[in-house]
Amino acid sequence: MAIKKLLFASLLICSMIQSSHGATKERLFTDLEKGALEITATPSRTGEGVVLAAGIDKLSITWKVSSTATKEPEFKTIKVKLCYAPISQVDRPWRKTENELFKDKSCPHKISSFSYDPTVKTAQSFDYTLERDIPTGTYYVRAYAVDAKDHEVAFGQSTNQDKTTNLFSVQAISGRHKSLDIASVCFSVFSVVALLVFFVNEKRKAKIEQSK
Amino acid sequence: MAPNHSNENGSIGSSLHGVTAREQIFSFSVEDGPSSQAIRSDDPTAKFALPVDSEHRAKVFKPLSFAKPHMRAFHLGWISFFTCFISTFAAAPLVPVIRDNLDLTKTDIGNAGVASVSGAIFSRLAMGAVCDLLGARYGTAFSLMLSAPAVFSMSFVADAGSYLAVRFMIGFCLATFVSCQYWTSVMFTGKIIGLVNGCAGGWGDMGGGVTQLLMPMVFHVIKLTGATPFTAWRFAFFIPGFLQIIMGILVLTLGQDLPDGNLSTLQKSGQVSKDKFSKVFWFAVKNYRTWILFVLYGFSMGVELTINNVISGYFYDRFNLTLHTAGIVAASFGMANFFARPFGGYASDVAARLFGMRGRLWTLWILQTVGALFCIWLGRASSLPIAILAMMLFSVGTQAACGALFGVAPFVSRRSLGLISGLTGAGGNFGSGVTQLLFFSSSRFSTAEGLSLMGVMAVVCTIPVAFIHFPQWGSMFLRPSQHEERSKEEHYYGGEWTEEEKSLGLHEGSIKFAENSRSERGRKAVLADIPTPETGSPAHV
Repeated sequence: MAIKKLLFASLLICSMIQSSHGATKERLFTDLEKGALEITATPSRTGEGVVLAAGIDKLSITWKVSSTATKEPEFKTIKVKLCYAPISQVDRPWRKTENELFKDKSCPHKISSFSYDPTVKTAQSFDYTLERDIPTGTYYVRAYAVDAKDHEVAFGQSTNQDKTTNLFSVQAISGRHKSLDIASVCFSVFSVVALLVFFVNEKRKAKIEQSK
Repeated sequence: MAPNHSNENGSIGSSLHGVTAREQIFSFSVEDGPSSQAIRSDDPTAKFALPVDSEHRAKVFKPLSFAKPHMRAFHLGWISFFTCFISTFAAAPLVPVIRDNLDLTKTDIGNAGVASVSGAIFSRLAMGAVCDLLGARYGTAFSLMLSAPAVFSMSFVADAGSYLAVRFMIGFCLATFVSCQYWTSVMFTGKIIGLVNGCAGGWGDMGGGVTQLLMPMVFHVIKLTGATPFTAWRFAFFIPGFLQIIMGILVLTLGQDLPDGNLSTLQKSGQVSKDKFSKVFWFAVKNYRTWILFVLYGFSMGVELTINNVISGYFYDRFNLTLHTAGIVAASFGMANFFARPFGGYASDVAARLFGMRGRLWTLWILQTVGALFCIWLGRASSLPIAILAMMLFSVGTQAACGALFGVAPFVSRRSLGLISGLTGAGGNFGSGVTQLLFFSSSRFSTAEGLSLMGVMAVVCTIPVAFIHFPQWGSMFLRPSQHEERSKEEHYYGGEWTEEEKSLGLHEGSIKFAENSRSERGRKAVLADIPTPETGSPAHV
């Protein structure tokens, strides 16, 4: 009972701390500068109906700051993320796109994060191997430009406004393992056999008891 | 029979004990002479560690003891049930990982949740019969050890369909609820059965809370050894699987079906008569009270099972908590069972002492309705502290109602006790399936709306408790029957046997039970300390 009170009190305190950051929570996606970063993501295998394999295939990501970017002096860090295309958000409210940045769940997978060097004006690129915990789905890439206060100020994405072009599909790993399968079968068989052994044994003992 | 009250010091009428010389007349008795008195040295009941009644059921509940056979049965029963709850809801806190691995939609997850509780509807029914016919030990062991393979087979799951199938099969093990309650009902006497069943049920239900902490922790540890998340969650299911096998073996080696021995031995030696399944089934189904309890339990336990499946995801998604924190909050719901359900059983017992069965029925209605009202509040709470407060109050109310209901259930029938436990238990799962299907399986309602609507439905479906009427004890709004014959417990319990069966003496167990259940008259049982003899004139004057 005391533990529960403690838990409740600590959760209360945590939520109050959260709410004291209220000012930052109302930061909206629509406030960010659109198209400030130009970014393209090229999968290692392309073509009609190609599905990339998580853990194996790569993305080649090229980015640069657009000439029309106005908030460029504020950029401190660039965060590149893998985002769900609308088709992968259907009937999955945990991937919903929200305008409030802290609530938005459409870009949960971090690709890379690095500090912004204002002296380099040309396009830079790097390779990213799809992680093994990326779920099956259709994706695009988005880069956020973050200022010194760790607030997003601008972004750019590899697809268009409606998120219909330049999407790529990923197939997740199954997570299954042969050794796991074998162990599973062994223990299952043991369970059933042990039960039968007990049952038969006891029936036999009861019969012996009766014949006495 | 002298009602047990008269043996306690200071209870009303004890100072006059023996004056009328009418005490302790048994209408029917297997043994010669009274045996519910204090233990005598040549009394066969002297071999028990706890004081027992005429059916050798314990009159005292000592939770810290492991004495054979009563307390041992209690502990084996509730721990088995606890293990099954862990297995059935093991997937719930891991859903955020599983849904990514298997590419599940909200509909898939909701349907799997429905499936996880639906299997038990049938297995709980079957378990009632199994307990009546084979005994509680085998009922429990079958449930544990035959569903362990389903738990292990999570390693094979590859898509929504197989996920649903496996959760469905794991859900069968919730039948241990019935075997656990049956086991305690044959081991403990009616006066304390509310508390005992409440503790066994409540501590078992805690498994639904513990799993919300255990599984994320196991998952985390396995990930630390280097496994990817999509493999780690599969391996995590091995832990509940192991627990089930271990408990199954313990139950078979350490447990005992009845106070006097194991069922098969007693049946073969003729001490316990074998009953016909068709009769047992008929008397359970024919009794309208069974069906009212079916609905009631559907909206106390049913609501609790649904919450076990949805609450972790609710806090994770709505309040943006981490998997770990959402698990802690969700666990608090299930852990409240530790004291909430026994409290309900205890409240039922106290109400029975004062007001008899009518008190039990009122207690049940109050607790369940209050719990449902807090559920409505939970759905409407938009800040985290309020949501947690509402959830805790809701959990106490609903879980206490579960305990109070099993203070009533053992009295509905003696002959079909197992099957009624089974049917009521099945009702719990049925209610959970219905609520999950209606409110949590589609995008029609948000989870918050679903919670409030479920609370409203629970309030409405608790009203039928007013219609449960016992001729010998009354109901919520009606007094007991004044009729000479129908106002006796023996008439109610004897009514489950035909004249032919009575002439063969098959109903003696029910008559003993009827005498022991006189305590359900409340204070009137103590004032009318002396039971009216069956024949017109007293044996001694």
